[in-house]
Amino acid sequence: MESGRSRVAELYGRYGPAVYRRCLRLLRDREAARDATQEVFMRLVKDMARLEDRENVLPWIYRVATNHCLNLIRSDRRHGEAVPSDELSLAAPETSDYPTRSLARDVLARFDEGTQAVAIGVLVDGMEHEELAQALGISRKTVERRLGRFLTAARKLLIGAGS
Amino acid sequence: MTARCPSDLSLESHLLDPEHSPIAAHVYGCARCTERLDRMRREGEDFARNVFPLTVDAIERAAARPPWWRRPAFVLPLPAFAAVAAVLLLVRPAGPPDDYVGVKGDAGGLGLTLFTAGPSGVAPLRDGDSIRASAAVRFRVRSSAGCHLWIVSIDDSRTVSRLYPAVADRAEWIVASEQDLPGGAVLDGRLGPERIYALCTPHSLVWPAVESAVRAAAARPASVRAPAPLSDLPPGASWHSLLLEKRP
Repeated sequence: MESGRSRVAELYGRYGPAVYRRCLRLLRDREAARDATQEVFMRLVKDMARLEDRENVLPWIYRVATNHCLNLIRSDRRHGEAVPSDELSLAAPETSDYPTRSLARDVLARFDEGTQAVAIGVLVDGMEHEELAQALGISRKTVERRLGRFLTAARKLLIGAGS
Repeated sequence: MTARCPSDLSLESHLLDPEHSPIAAHVYGCARCTERLDRMRREGEDFARNVFPLTVDAIERAAARPPWWRRPAFVLPLPAFAAVAAVLLLVRPAGPPDDYVGVKGDAGGLGLTLFTAGPSGVAPLRDGDSIRASAAVRFRVRSSAGCHLWIVSIDDSRTVSRLYPAVADRAEWIVASEQDLPGGAVLDGRLGPERIYALCTPHSLVWPAVESAVRAAAARPASVRAPAPLSDLPPGASWHSLLLEKRP
């Protein structure tokens, strides 16, 4: 990073990579992740005090970036734009074939963003319920309720798809 | 290494401060986590090389930009505001304009008008109007008091979509006035009814609460066309809705 930059630029240099990685993971597209990173950080810098809070800043950044990218995916789908073919894969590519990933995406798309964030956090990111609750700013009970609802509905959908 | 691997968020924390990382012992002995960290570092380098230089100026400008209520356009001297208000009161017609669209659910002085481009130019849509399923629409809201505004929609599959603000987690504050909102929305191309809501609350309402209220109002089959009133909203909330019938 360049020296002599403003405090904002320093914070961007410090936390920008985390935002970029999160966006890259969800959007699976470098250009889209770059734009999303800029948009997310333009929102984050509106609350500099929170951005300076080293102890608690990362879950907040994670939450804002996750919500922003899920919303972008939803908006792209809603507007009929192309989305990367393996975006939001629920399982590692080496352990699932394309139809499985596609089915997983279709299942995920049936849920609201709050539930999507929980499903991705637990099933994709492998987060503990407590950790995810903190990152998303919701209670652990809500995480468990949303996950339960997602899994129940997903099982029904997958059984239906398999029959 | 048999212990459960940490999440991406934990690894982010580890990357920021490896010396005080509670997961250091795990990641240094775990081939999978080492691989994940290597990938994250490469992505971080990609950010430093290809993202930071292109975007940092915009970030700095955004940080330096004062909130809208402190911008010069909003800091006119009070007498100037009073004069403008007086002129508006004198010239404003007593009744609603010709293109005013009265719609269901009027409460608290909130109105919503949608516009779309037709054969004879941009025209307002009336409750129940048919519209091309992939048409672009713009919103005009009229509020008698400042409030936090959401514009959302629900279709007959009970999919709730946020239209304004399009990407934020919280409602956008609007001043008491009639105003055209920036941006707009493009309908999703699916045929069938879609109800558009304008929802104003004195305090900002988070998206899950909005989504839940709108979905609950359309709980019965086919109730997008005749929804129940929105419920579970905070005191002082007002809402307005408009039905569109999306056609080929």
